[in-house]
Amino acid sequence: MLARVANNLFWMGRYLERTEHIARFINVNYFSSLDAPNETSQSRQFVLNSILRMVDDEPDNDEFLDEKTVLFDTVLNTENLYSITSCFRMARENASGARDLISSELFESINKLHHYINNFDTNIFLERGLDEFTSNISKAISTIKGKIVTTMMHNEVYNIIMLGVHLERANIVIRVIDTKHQDAMLTREEISYKTSYEWTTLLKCIQSFDMMKRHYKKVPISKDTLDFLILNPQCPKSVLKCLKNAKCNIDSLNKHDNLASAFLIGKITAEYSYKSIDEIETSFNDFIQKIIREINYICESIEEELFGA
Amino acid sequence: MEKKNILPIFSSYHLESTFYDEVFKGNNEVRNTYTELFKLFNEYQVEDFQMLNEKAKVSFLNQGITFQVYNKTTVEKVFPFDLFPKIITASEWSHIENGALQRSRALNLFLHDVYHKQQIIKDGIVPLELISSSENYLKQMIDIEPPGGIYNHISGTDVIKHSDGEYYVLEDNIRCPSGVSYVVSNRVASKRALFGVFNKYPTHSVANYSENLLDIMQSVKPIGVDIPTCVVITPGIYNSAYYEHSFLAKSMGIELVEGRDLFVENDFVYMKTIYGPVRVDVVYRRIDDAFLDPKVFSPDSVLGVPGIFEAYRKGNVTLVNAPGTGVADDKAIYTYMPQIIKYYLDEEPILNNVYTYHCSRPKELEFVLNNIDKLVVKPVDESGGYGISIGNKLTKEEIEKVKKVIKENPRKYIAQPIMALSTHATFIEDEKCFEPRHVDLRTFTLLGKDQSFVLKGGLTRVALQKGNLIVNSSQGGGSKDTWVLK
Repeated sequence: MLARVANNLFWMGRYLERTEHIARFINVNYFSSLDAPNETSQSRQFVLNSILRMVDDEPDNDEFLDEKTVLFDTVLNTENLYSITSCFRMARENASGARDLISSELFESINKLHHYINNFDTNIFLERGLDEFTSNISKAISTIKGKIVTTMMHNEVYNIIMLGVHLERANIVIRVIDTKHQDAMLTREEISYKTSYEWTTLLKCIQSFDMMKRHYKKVPISKDTLDFLILNPQCPKSVLKCLKNAKCNIDSLNKHDNLASAFLIGKITAEYSYKSIDEIETSFNDFIQKIIREINYICESIEEELFGA
Repeated sequence: MEKKNILPIFSSYHLESTFYDEVFKGNNEVRNTYTELFKLFNEYQVEDFQMLNEKAKVSFLNQGITFQVYNKTTVEKVFPFDLFPKIITASEWSHIENGALQRSRALNLFLHDVYHKQQIIKDGIVPLELISSSENYLKQMIDIEPPGGIYNHISGTDVIKHSDGEYYVLEDNIRCPSGVSYVVSNRVASKRALFGVFNKYPTHSVANYSENLLDIMQSVKPIGVDIPTCVVITPGIYNSAYYEHSFLAKSMGIELVEGRDLFVENDFVYMKTIYGPVRVDVVYRRIDDAFLDPKVFSPDSVLGVPGIFEAYRKGNVTLVNAPGTGVADDKAIYTYMPQIIKYYLDEEPILNNVYTYHCSRPKELEFVLNNIDKLVVKPVDESGGYGISIGNKLTKEEIEKVKKVIKENPRKYIAQPIMALSTHATFIEDEKCFEPRHVDLRTFTLLGKDQSFVLKGGLTRVALQKGNLIVNSSQGGGSKDTWVLK
């Protein structure tokens, strides 16, 4: 496979995953805040601030945030690289660059969503379209990912796409955890950090609320939530599970057993396989910085080694 | 059978006696070839056509079967598709097929001669200045022996049906003729929309183009290569024909590369893969000559591959089509096609040529300047329908302008009588009915080492504007499926 095309596939996977998570984060945060039990969590300013922090556009402390502006900027504004529209446009451009390798069904599902996004009326979106638009994006991306699994050969093309998907998932799940962790800290005067409503929102943002309840059979508290989303080897969205999946993908590409990136992913996965949540929780901010750095390092290593970047 | 009795959506179908209509005869009867199709259409209402039309459009858009138009910003457009197919009988097709193949073979021999002994010039058949003054003549190609002896592996021959009911060739395209992907996708769309009637017509498949193209590419592999690695090279995802490039690579199961994916080392071409360099043997290039190799041609090209021409010259890689083929699809060379066919093949031309005036000849120039209103003036080296002026559509001021432009550079222009392109029933969305529109047909011919192939079908291009004779997609044309009967 061409190195450039592999790079396209990797980034297609990353941008698809990123688009889905941003869409769901905005949707879940916005709507679950409406009936949150504490005042701060219900506040529009608090929610908008949280959304901006998640997409890495942290507002100034006292900045007043206009709801329509924030929603437009994070969802439809093509001038912002982090907006849903921009992320998906990049996913499609990367898919176009690898169009001869991906199935027609996959390309068609990507293209359909592209036209849906492009044709969505901005005014309707701002007046009443937030739920419709973001939910449809989540659904369409699930369809796209279904096409990846069911219409593509499970060979190196598939493994490169999924490598992108899994590493981006790890990356964005950490960012979501970080954002909601900060939110829980910010609301601890009204409601304790341990039992904060933000943990429920966090789990819903990552589609893990039901699974987590089934697993622990109780209301989410800080420690269980973090353990579930970072270290649970069975939760499909946990950081550890993402790393393990990425490890499987890179191992399939490591035909000559000489890829340094495969070694690196293995090493980092091994570290988290034998870590407890207590170790992480004591210095949570350090952990966040460290894991973000490690995932970046993995991605850079893959790009350099496989794509010649 | 009165046409008006058949369907209300044909009620405003006006035949003009100056044109040959492919669907209706002069006295409003449906031609035999189309009677089965009309039986099906009898069951349809206007709304049914609109629905089918809309369905086809959405399907093309969703599949990304589009082309891009540059107009300040890049716009992605669906190539308008008309549901009413052009149907060609077996005997009519065999005439077109033999004619297209004959021209491709003659052009191939002509190219070899032009870049070697130039015997045809020495024998006084084609004037030297026509070659030496052509912008598409590449002196770098002199004395190169292309693998398999083939220059124009892929030719697109544009034919029309004139008012006399005969086929004429409008032009030969032997640089990078495009459109074949639409032939295949149009067939998929028309089968879905007209399934009730499609099986009543024993039609040749068009799905075998790609396998034949790959066969042809493999047949011209460099000497010493066992199983060649073939690729398609594209300028990139923003090129107007990118869909076609990706379609070709995908349907042949080979890599679609960009210039930056290839490099040359010791005069061999390699592509950069995730596991390191892999040698490339045959390149179907969809990049113009000028951009192919910055070391030899346009030095600022970022689309090409530095050193690829030297690798080609040494026989280490095959370029499909060969560089420099443009010298032979020049519209000035076109006028010599009957003589070229006779000279190399000792055969009479099977397909007619349109009579052409050369503005480079003083007497003909004078005639052209005095009769611009009756002629089509074309630049010899443009493609895509650009720079063409059709005499009877021009105002007085425009005629003066055209005259001035021709006088400034007579070599650059030829003129032909305004050809009466046949008309074909075409669904006009705004009018909600069928109207006659002008059509032509692009055929696709492949030449390989000791083998050839003509796609049994083609791209019927239709000028959607009433009275318009220019069918190119870049000029607002659409297309139809073309059914070649067994």
